[in-house]
Amino acid sequence: MKKIILIFAIIAAFLPQMKGQSVSCKVKGSDTCLPLTQKEAEEFMKKNAGSSIMVTGGGSGVGLSSLLSGTTDLAQSSRKMKMDEKMKLQDAGKAFTEKIIAYDALAVIVNPSNKVTQLTREQIEAIYTGKITNWKEVGGDDMNIVIYSRETSSGTYEFFREHVLNKKNFATSALLMPATGAIVQSVSQTKGAIGYVGLAYLESDIKAIKVSYDAGKTYVSPSVENAKNKTYPITRPLYYYYLNSAEKVVKPFVDFVLSPEGQKIVGDIGFVPLN
Amino acid sequence: MKQNYTKNLLRISFLFFFLFAGKFIFAQDDADAKIKKSADTLNTKIENLKDEVGFLKKLRISGYIQPQWQIADTSGISSFAGGNFLKYSDNRFSVRRGRVKVAYEGEYSQFVIQIDATERGVALKDAYLSLKDPWLHTFTLTGGVFNRPFGFEIAYSSSLRESPERARVNQTLFPNERDLGAMLTIQPRKESRYNFIKLDLGLIAGNAIAPEIDSHKDFLAHLTVNRTTKNEKFKYGLGVSYYNGGYYHETKKVYSMATLADGMTQGYTVDSTESNLGAFAKREYFGAEAQLSIDWFPGITTLRGEYIWGMQPGSPSSNISPSSRALPGLTITDTYNRPVSGGYVYFIQNIGQSRHSFVIKYDWFDPNTDLKGDEMKSSITVNEKEIKTNLSGADIMYTTWGFGYNLRLTANVKLMAYYDLVKNETAAIKGYGKDLKDNVFTLRLQFKF
Repeated sequence: MKKIILIFAIIAAFLPQMKGQSVSCKVKGSDTCLPLTQKEAEEFMKKNAGSSIMVTGGGSGVGLSSLLSGTTDLAQSSRKMKMDEKMKLQDAGKAFTEKIIAYDALAVIVNPSNKVTQLTREQIEAIYTGKITNWKEVGGDDMNIVIYSRETSSGTYEFFREHVLNKKNFATSALLMPATGAIVQSVSQTKGAIGYVGLAYLESDIKAIKVSYDAGKTYVSPSVENAKNKTYPITRPLYYYYLNSAEKVVKPFVDFVLSPEGQKIVGDIGFVPLN
Repeated sequence: MKQNYTKNLLRISFLFFFLFAGKFIFAQDDADAKIKKSADTLNTKIENLKDEVGFLKKLRISGYIQPQWQIADTSGISSFAGGNFLKYSDNRFSVRRGRVKVAYEGEYSQFVIQIDATERGVALKDAYLSLKDPWLHTFTLTGGVFNRPFGFEIAYSSSLRESPERARVNQTLFPNERDLGAMLTIQPRKESRYNFIKLDLGLIAGNAIAPEIDSHKDFLAHLTVNRTTKNEKFKYGLGVSYYNGGYYHETKKVYSMATLADGMTQGYTVDSTESNLGAFAKREYFGAEAQLSIDWFPGITTLRGEYIWGMQPGSPSSNISPSSRALPGLTITDTYNRPVSGGYVYFIQNIGQSRHSFVIKYDWFDPNTDLKGDEMKSSITVNEKEIKTNLSGADIMYTTWGFGYNLRLTANVKLMAYYDLVKNETAAIKGYGKDLKDNVFTLRLQFKF
């Protein structure tokens, strides 16, 4: 009888592990990370019955402030956490962990009907700061340029402004969109449009242009391969942030994303895996 | 016959088909209509909910309560650690601050009211409205009762500050922190590369939260830059401030520092020109400030410092700026012009990412920079005649070392233990022959929401 009880106890102890880890958590933040996290969550939930991972976008800033307010378990971000955000977390007595989950290349996109196929960084800067207002000034048709950008709460916005515009001001005519999907849609429907999105958002109804960071000597197209071999200049890490107090809740999922299986999804979605 | 039978069968079949198909189609239509109706109802509900949530998002209620226990070296001491101790008390319980702030933030406007409710009563702290320009997003006009735009520590919230009180220099020159007036803030819009620069220009009554007593307006300017390095490891801020105000002469007697009749001793001499009555003494301060935060392996380290100097008019026995002056005053006092200087330095170290942090603070305030303590005396004798220097406790310099520990128990609750080691200049002035026993220990709990 004792043996039977012992066997049942052992089975009971190992049952949760045999079933897979049941996780219930909320992920919020970067729109760039959104397609990746959604796919990762889908796969994770398939493998771990009973798990529930709710993924929403809104921008890196939104995700990180939600971490502070306790309305998300995991914040996805396309930029590093700011010093101000760190200090706010510190003031609230909340310790956090940062994980790089993938790398992304930022693609500058235009409408497929636009005959411009390549631009130098200086030209992109001039377009986005309002110095160049017509496509004919960069070898295109005589057509006004319509600038699309993400909102200021977006990590992609901040990265683009810092690394492509050299921190210069956006033109006042720039249209600030609430989500990356909205940029893709607008650029696909507007002939004179220009925008910027993460690699994972590239579709057939928008055109990614080649970029030169050496004043026009070499132009490189945005692709996973070019980001991996570091020839494409506009690349950046993507992050997950979580409070140490929520480690138990989110770690199984984060570990899955960092696992070879999770990193394969990173590549499949169109981002650059860590290794 | 068989043909007729087949035809009839076909007819009946068609009849049945149309009957049932019709029923099916109508049933489908019914279902679609029901779904559409449900969706419309849901949409209406969502829209209503969005309106309500939108309103609630604009309305923000926040606040904090700071109950504390303090023990001082001596009963009845004068203190800048939350006010003087009563005559028979060397330790006390108090609610240092009990704040409730209500703010309504529209797209281009903000309305704020803040009150302070403690055992001492209910007092207004903030009552202002701000209007932002909708075109350049660069200019903001604020009117009402708000923090004076001068230096860093005044506007830095007491709920965030690592020491229980502001430095003595700020408590002296800017009692209550707030004043009544208008302020123009110029800061390039968030998307601008120059967003890190901010200029505040203020025109205020100069009587703190109390009603304005004269037609003279005080002018303030505060220029700051705040930056963070690309790697988000260093954050720094620099600022300069200027205050130009006036102090109403209640009498014709205006005292200023000068060399007395012995040709050596410094003291106050009086100017009794008739026209002094009703004129204004110059109240002028200059300030410079710096803050640096470093995120490194021991945890975030923060250094803050501020230096203020200028001319402070006051009464014979007080160097504190007016905070509730009413003219004609119950006690009419002569004006004393004092050249002042003071400042503070904070060193704050968080222990890794833990809930613990330590703070060391040094602050000083010299209300009369023309004299050192050992040069001060109540009177001198010249040709066997006693001449008063008119110096008093209001001319004595103080330095304070503060040592504190902060523990963030939860996101809302903070515990603070802090010791103020206060030293005053010793001088040949009554009551200041030796260092006063006025150190204070504070144990404070803060709940913030």
